[in-house]
Amino acid sequence: MRLTRRDLMKLGIGVGGMALLPGGRLLADGGSSDLPSSPSTTPFLVELPIAPIAQPVAPFATQPDPADCVNVDGSTAFHVHGPRVVPAGTRFFLLHEQARAHSFHPQLPPNVIWGYQGMSPGPTFLAESGVPFIVRFVNDLPENDPVGIGEPITAIHRHGGFQFPEDDGYPIDTFCSGQSRDYFYPNEADDLQVQNEHSTLWYHDHAIDITGPNVYRGLAGFFLNFDAIDSLLGEEDPNPNALRLPGRMTTLPSGEPFREFDVPLVVQDKLFDQNGFLVYDTFDHNGFLGDKFLVNGVIQPFFRVARRKYRFRFLNGSNARLYEFFMSNGQSFTAIGTDSHLLQHPVTVKSFRIDSAERVEVVIDFSHARLGEEIFLVNRLQQTTGRKPDGLVSPGTPILKFIVSRDAADPSQVPDTLRLVTEGPEQLLPGVTVKRTFEFERSDGAWVVNGDFFDENRISAKPHRNTAEIWELKSPGGWVHPVHIHLTEFFVLSRDGNTPPPLEQGRKDTIEIGADRGDATILVPWPNQFHTVPGPVAGRYVFHCHNLEHEDMRMMAQFDVQA
Amino acid sequence: MTRGPRAPLVLLLLAAACSPSSPEPAAAPAGAGLRPPDPVAAIRQQHLPNIELTTHEGRRVRFYDDLVKGKVVAINFMFATCRLACPAATENLREVQKAFAGRADRDVTLLSISLDPERDTPEVLRGYAEAHGISPGWYFLTGKRDEIDQLRRKLGAWDPDPVVDADPQQHTGLVIVGNEPRGRWRAISVLSKPVRIEQAIERVLLPPSQWPTGEAAVQAAPYEESAASQRRVGRPAASDLILRD
Repeated sequence: MRLTRRDLMKLGIGVGGMALLPGGRLLADGGSSDLPSSPSTTPFLVELPIAPIAQPVAPFATQPDPADCVNVDGSTAFHVHGPRVVPAGTRFFLLHEQARAHSFHPQLPPNVIWGYQGMSPGPTFLAESGVPFIVRFVNDLPENDPVGIGEPITAIHRHGGFQFPEDDGYPIDTFCSGQSRDYFYPNEADDLQVQNEHSTLWYHDHAIDITGPNVYRGLAGFFLNFDAIDSLLGEEDPNPNALRLPGRMTTLPSGEPFREFDVPLVVQDKLFDQNGFLVYDTFDHNGFLGDKFLVNGVIQPFFRVARRKYRFRFLNGSNARLYEFFMSNGQSFTAIGTDSHLLQHPVTVKSFRIDSAERVEVVIDFSHARLGEEIFLVNRLQQTTGRKPDGLVSPGTPILKFIVSRDAADPSQVPDTLRLVTEGPEQLLPGVTVKRTFEFERSDGAWVVNGDFFDENRISAKPHRNTAEIWELKSPGGWVHPVHIHLTEFFVLSRDGNTPPPLEQGRKDTIEIGADRGDATILVPWPNQFHTVPGPVAGRYVFHCHNLEHEDMRMMAQFDVQA
Repeated sequence: MTRGPRAPLVLLLLAAACSPSSPEPAAAPAGAGLRPPDPVAAIRQQHLPNIELTTHEGRRVRFYDDLVKGKVVAINFMFATCRLACPAATENLREVQKAFAGRADRDVTLLSISLDPERDTPEVLRGYAEAHGISPGWYFLTGKRDEIDQLRRKLGAWDPDPVVDADPQQHTGLVIVGNEPRGRWRAISVLSKPVRIEQAIERVLLPPSQWPTGEAAVQAAPYEESAASQRRVGRPAASDLILRD
């Protein structure tokens, strides 16, 4: 069958990294400043890769943190902790950060990326509450890198995680080529409250001043957490209280464990030169945009699905680009989680918008599709600068093709109640006595929080543990800033004085402020206590803009939780 | 704007129309057998145009050939009549220049480029330099407005909002530091404490083993707590309490 251009536009098929506007005009979807566009690539040639599950190793003796790795800003680690305390039942993991050839697309040459275990995204951790992890990350990145994107100095932040300051990837707590650092992840809900059980976290590089290029080069992966009701058994869980959301454990022919029907999807944009080599612009301080759209590390893949429900965990792992996703056939998403937590109740949406570092969990039901039907996940949010999105366009760019190829049993469900909040604004607000305002803005071309750059020696808030505070997050200059607060997850009280939209009524750890989204007033609970290894919640953590070019130009501040 | 080679529209559409459910054999990868570009050459080509400028001493120079090639530089944008960020920026950079003065291993060239080149003649800039007591190794530069504009954008000092971009004041807050032969470039606020700018320059200039490090580097600027750090307001306002469903 020969498709006309009109057919294609109805199907919502863009071309390569470009979108077709009504009238057939081709429009570059972005690209950094004046750099040339990427070469064209045929969409949907490659099957969606799904990262392998990180496998535990035999216990090893944990070691003190290296203290002599010199950051690009000249600092060395602030938290230099001795060997970690290892509670009984802890699982051990060993991951190497490695340079390795990677195929972004069969029509582009292999590119040497930096990845955890040499892959991007890195292996997916599957954690269960109550079973702590020690993860040793080994920096095997080359000291002399011919590509020139990134620096071989790293710190690992488990984004959304509840962890001690020394395990949080504080930006100067780095380790260099040839060194390693042990991270202890307690895998416990903040203050052991069931409402705080985590769902979709991710881990990525967080080294000071170079997070943008290091993450762009590939240093990111998923960390999924399960608990008694949102369990690893998933849809097969016989526990009557289990949510039985789509997903179950199975085994691949290779013997490797595999999580089926529950699929993490990291969306990223990248730019390539005319020969197909990765491009990054170290002079771009507005926010680096690519014009190729990747899902799980490859450009515009396809994914064969069965006629049933799937759980998809979307992560925007882009440096500066926002997306708004639609299904090409007009069907809805059932949103079940935002950032690190499940929602209280599922929300049906026709589309969802996702800014850098945010996660949105959705259930997509293919049970009504025809066998052989092809359905596209389409980004309709156009963005041509790091400042903010331009707005919705039609038809947009399809980034992932679902091919409905088989039938499969579906014992999963999406219950009406997912994760109830028992200690929310109603309970916390009467005790609030502290309100702070943080303005994220541009000052004569540089990025500041309340007029200041990040300085390792400046504290911008001293909250007390086991209290809650109101923070007003403002972006006065018309720029979008995805603000990420480490350690805790917050409630959105209002948006420019109005009720927040449905997908902001759950907990968040990253929130888009500015432009059409407006300012946000949030309620920030400060946890009290670690239990797996007992200790008060205290110390220095950062909060920052997660547009990575803004972050690297020090649009970051820190709070020091008072014990 | 430069654009890479792009297949004609019709070919791209055909490629999309194929959208195979059984993937066709892939075409030979582009760039097969090629190597990734040399990052230093790529930066020169994309970011360091060789435009002609005139120094405050009246000397005609080329930006790349004479001012940047083989050097460690700190570059900012200014104009002589600017009363807001510029005087503080110049003062900060003067501190930085003093800190590096007389040290052969810290050879840093400072470049202050006028965003008001018609009014900032070499004579005006010489007066400005003299008034601020600057020493050799620091050039105040003027040239053709459109070329300086192009240079400013290539160095990353631009705003996507054309109204903001047209206001020269909005580009006076950055200092771009670079080590040209090493291909290492960064930008920080020129209103940072001078010692932080000095450290940023040292880190593009020196091999990592000689970088300022650790607690001493952090403590080079004094400990401080920002105004928001201890803000207490008593009970929250009613408007904070009622806005959720």
